[in-house]
Amino acid sequence: MNPPSRRQALKAAAAAVLLLAATACQSAVDAQTSPAGPAAAPKQGGVAEIGVNLDLVPANLFTNSNVSITTVVGLVYDTLVRYDNKTLEPKPRVATEWKQSDGGKTVTLKLRTDVKYHSGRTLTSADVKFALGNYADPKWNGQLISTAKTITAIDTPAPDQVVLHLEHPVSNLFDLLDTVPLVDSETAADIATGKKLIGTGAFKFDSWRPNTDLTFSKNPAYWGGAPYLDGVHVRVIPDAQSLAAAVKSGQVHLARGVGYRDAEALASTPGLKVTSLEGAELQAYVGLNVTAPGLEDPKVRQAIAYALDKERIIKEVFRDKGYPVSLPWPRTSPAYDQELDSRYKHDVTKAKALLAESGKQLPEIPLTYVGNDQVFTAIAQIIQNNLAEVGIKVALTPVDSTGFVKQLIGAQFPGLWTTNHSWAQFSPATLTVSAYPFNARRNASKYSSPAYTTAADNAWKLQSVTGPEATAAYKELSTQLLDGAFLAEIGVVFEQAVTRDALQGFEWSRRREPDFSKAFVA
Amino acid sequence: MTRYLLRRAPSALIVLWLASVLIFLVIRAIPGDAAAAMAGPDASPEAIAAIRHDLGLDLPVVTQYLDWLGGLFSGDLGRSYLIGGDIADLVGEGFANTLTLTLSALLIAVLVALLLGPLWAATSNRWVDRVLTGFHTAAVALPPFVTGVVLIIVFGVIFRLLPTGGVPPKGMFDRLDITVQYLALPAVCLALPVAGVLTGFLAETLRGELRQDYVTTVQAAGVKRREIVVRHAMRGALPVAITTLGLQTGALLGGAVLVESIFSWPGLGLLVEQGITRRDYPVVQVLLMLSVAVFVLVQLVTDIVHAALDPRIRLGAQT
Repeated sequence: MNPPSRRQALKAAAAAVLLLAATACQSAVDAQTSPAGPAAAPKQGGVAEIGVNLDLVPANLFTNSNVSITTVVGLVYDTLVRYDNKTLEPKPRVATEWKQSDGGKTVTLKLRTDVKYHSGRTLTSADVKFALGNYADPKWNGQLISTAKTITAIDTPAPDQVVLHLEHPVSNLFDLLDTVPLVDSETAADIATGKKLIGTGAFKFDSWRPNTDLTFSKNPAYWGGAPYLDGVHVRVIPDAQSLAAAVKSGQVHLARGVGYRDAEALASTPGLKVTSLEGAELQAYVGLNVTAPGLEDPKVRQAIAYALDKERIIKEVFRDKGYPVSLPWPRTSPAYDQELDSRYKHDVTKAKALLAESGKQLPEIPLTYVGNDQVFTAIAQIIQNNLAEVGIKVALTPVDSTGFVKQLIGAQFPGLWTTNHSWAQFSPATLTVSAYPFNARRNASKYSSPAYTTAADNAWKLQSVTGPEATAAYKELSTQLLDGAFLAEIGVVFEQAVTRDALQGFEWSRRREPDFSKAFVA
Repeated sequence: MTRYLLRRAPSALIVLWLASVLIFLVIRAIPGDAAAAMAGPDASPEAIAAIRHDLGLDLPVVTQYLDWLGGLFSGDLGRSYLIGGDIADLVGEGFANTLTLTLSALLIAVLVALLLGPLWAATSNRWVDRVLTGFHTAAVALPPFVTGVVLIIVFGVIFRLLPTGGVPPKGMFDRLDITVQYLALPAVCLALPVAGVLTGFLAETLRGELRQDYVTTVQAAGVKRREIVVRHAMRGALPVAITTLGLQTGALLGGAVLVESIFSWPGLGLLVEQGITRRDYPVVQVLLMLSVAVFVLVQLVTDIVHAALDPRIRLGAQT
């Protein structure tokens, strides 16, 4: 046999080097992927990989406005109480007991004594006082700031006791206590830059690489017991198709921000589960500027509410992950009233009759929506079609999300708009005093009515969210919303969380904050 | 020469100043502002006002502009409204990531062109010619948002060979083998159109070279066709191909914006896109200003080099 030539020897050596390199390499996919499996016993260790479509905006930490924010808050921070996802009955968390006195104007809270910040410092009543005061600072844009501002004084008679003094009783006080993250007073100034996020939650914040990822490690001293997971890694994946591909390929265990159509397609993939975040409902709606030509007439506004084919929108756009409503309240809300809620069912005849009664010649009405949002682009087209059926011409006006928010808050929409809102899953008063589109005193619709304002105030100043007095107050509030028709609700819908079977024990709060304190990777 | 430089410098400074004014005003002319973007849809006007005050957006525009300009002169690029970090750090990290991606893509494009260009030029096999024609057409015609999704589905979802996006969790320099796997799909996606153009150009130039008389002479001397292409024709074709490569580098940087978004690659493209969408004025201002500064600097250096090489330009400027 002839000895190999120099060229053959070089080729063989190169092939050997390549083979060695390939076998020595660890697969980046294997490093991330965990095999899917059926329900299993909790297992210690591992890192949960989460994919989110939006990056953190630290200055918005108290607004619950995007998936990264809710993810960070859910992992790092605790609250005083926690609602479960079915009732509005507060359950103990950092506060173990509470007592209302003085007709609901004084609330005394007893705190756990074993709660420690991630810095090692023990949480005391002074920290609770700081957290509530900090939340009321307008610069944080906390959604429940109106309720926080009704607290006129906070006493801290003992390290484990807090006494809240209120200007007047409010029915949504426990919404506030369920919402306010117990931030660390010593590092609160660093929250806005995202450098230090120190709380008392099950996971410690380790790092944030803007537009890239966030990492968290387990808090072994967590008062609720050390979590099973060693850590959580949140990856920012802005492209919707890439996010769907990441969960489908097993590179993330949980994808948040996947569109309804993608979620529907992923649901049939073996090893994947799609969960509707029940209890954390969102509402899609059409807003009406009541000062726009034609829309000042309540009959025209009611005609628009009748003309909307809500069933079609829920079915085609939200892929049946929700249900149509006439009022903002989800079925679990104490304000939900089936009879009232069925008022604006799709009825073209009734819509036409109301328009005829109004006798107005309507100009073309602009409909503003976020143009790069596929969900609301589809909804806008259906609305245009629905209103054309009853003789109302609509001009579609897509804008970008920042421009949209500015018009919404500045009450600058020239006609109609469509988007979603939240907070109806909490105490009904929270919606009408905290969510800007519903605010009785100043809202995007430029709608004002003494009767609506009174109804909103009465619902807010209740001592309890349930009982005959509350039911009567909510009925009046709902009637005012239906008659005023300055917002036409489309439906209650649920965020879709896509998870690998391997991730188990994942829970969430009413604000869509993930709870991984009992989660594990099987 | 110093005189020439002194004469050219003021015009460069004027261009930079005009650009700074234009950039500052144009960004603010876009409807919506950072405070609205930060506040979200349920915010009250009071909350927006508080955020505006916090960000200094309630100050007169001239004051805001002078503050920004003062910061630039003192080397302080400012802070991002939304991300919260130092812009210098953000731009530095983004630049490093974009550079890594574009250089990798450039390398892939050049290797592909060097491999396929000569093969296409020299082949007499009809099937090889058809396959390479198909590759060239597809690579040039398909936009990155199509090839990106196809690559993700094939290599990330179906075969699960490579990550679908993102960067290595422990950083670029922790494990080179992991970094290469994260880079592979975005770099190939970005490289494909450039590889297509370069391959076609190189093949065509080589075909021209192969028709030259000296090739016939070399063939008559019994040199193999492969050797003629690699050793002789390439010498004539490469300078032209390098010029094309230079032109394509600009396209590569432009394409990076889209590819970074598809593959969640945290480079300058993603930073610009998010800065504009969320009205993060300081970030966008700095990135645009940097682009202008680089352009002005390149122009200035080019003029200086020309002046150094050609005394007529230097002397003409003095008269």
